[in-house]
Amino acid sequence: MPFDLTIVTPEGEAYRGSVERVVLPGSEGEFGVLANHERFLSPLRVGPVEILSAEGSVYAAVADGFAEVDGETVTVLVDSCELEHEIDAARADCALAAAQQYLDKAAGNDDPDRYRHFEAALERARTRIAVSRRKSQ
Amino acid sequence: MPNLKDIQRRIGSIKKTQQITRAMRMVAGAKLRRAQTASENARPYADRMRATVSQVSEGVSEDAHPFFEQRESVKKVEFVVAVSDRGLCGGFNSNALKFAAKQIAEREAEGCKISITTAGKRGQEFFRRRRASQLEGNYPQQSWVTYGQATEIARAVSGRFVSGEVDEVFIIYNEFVSVMTQNPKAVQLLPFTAEGESSEDALPYEIEPDPESLLAVLVPKAVEVEIYRALLENQTGEHAARMAAMESATRNTEELVDKLTLQFNRARQAAITKELVEIVSGAEAL
Repeated sequence: MPFDLTIVTPEGEAYRGSVERVVLPGSEGEFGVLANHERFLSPLRVGPVEILSAEGSVYAAVADGFAEVDGETVTVLVDSCELEHEIDAARADCALAAAQQYLDKAAGNDDPDRYRHFEAALERARTRIAVSRRKSQ
Repeated sequence: MPNLKDIQRRIGSIKKTQQITRAMRMVAGAKLRRAQTASENARPYADRMRATVSQVSEGVSEDAHPFFEQRESVKKVEFVVAVSDRGLCGGFNSNALKFAAKQIAEREAEGCKISITTAGKRGQEFFRRRRASQLEGNYPQQSWVTYGQATEIARAVSGRFVSGEVDEVFIIYNEFVSVMTQNPKAVQLLPFTAEGESSEDALPYEIEPDPESLLAVLVPKAVEVEIYRALLENQTGEHAARMAAMESATRNTEELVDKLTLQFNRARQAAITKELVEIVSGAEAL
């Protein structure tokens, strides 16, 4: 039984459609949502989203936010969301290398805010690469 | 009697100015449309965020998140002033800055210390001359407002709030009422209040892992969104104000050209008449 999924970012709606199942990267681990799920709110971390609809499955990379589930609709509010075909793998590779380089060099003896910033960047780049690889398989 | 050549030259130069103002009006119009679309795109996210935050914070105590903390004595207030980087947009910047200066003076009269963060070059220039020591930071606007910019500002001010450096944070920006009207407005960012019209009949959510850790994610985002919305609205207002200003400038140049053309024709006719009179009186004298 399909239900409505909406993924919203500050830049606009990234996805809207009727889906069969969605798997989200919750802060306490991945979780799947089917139709008629109980009303439920959870924070999300950076990670992949799997959307299964009548047309097949689509992957997306999201950055942190939260998900709101209420029976017939699921709303996902995240900082950013890229569907698999929107991801620029080359750019993600660059970002990954840059973040990795910074983290290796700083090794914790730096401004913690900056460190966390690059850690988050690393995670986002990894997710993007993973999602774009899944598409090509 | 003004010289014919001089008038002609002035007409020429005014027509050139007119070309510029007309082009700027068109550019501002195109940017206004783009800015409006950006604002509209951000609305679903902001609305949803507000609804959820007010719903989640309903059942929790005031100390569920550090941003909720209402301090008893407010010693230092921070103002985030959002204006534009560029001028030539009528009273847009000066209205907001005058409004900000008034708000600041009021809080100062109450004995509060003030710190100022500006977004937009015009604001920085304004306060650097008047209150340089109170300037905390400046975030020049790149050509377009991005969410990342709002995040940066949010992080800086909420850091100062949590550490106790400031007790209240306000943002001042131009509210976009219509293309013709923008009103300066102050909105409290911190301490954060979830002004709630959460629907009464809504069933409570199962919250995982618990309301406090969800709020830890939600509340900072809600502040970011509030700033983002203000910046976007300010951006829309800027282009609208510039469009209106350039429209009236174009109209003024048109009027001037008409007036000068009239003057030119009169002067030309006067010159012809004078010449004729000279010829006729010359012939009579013979």
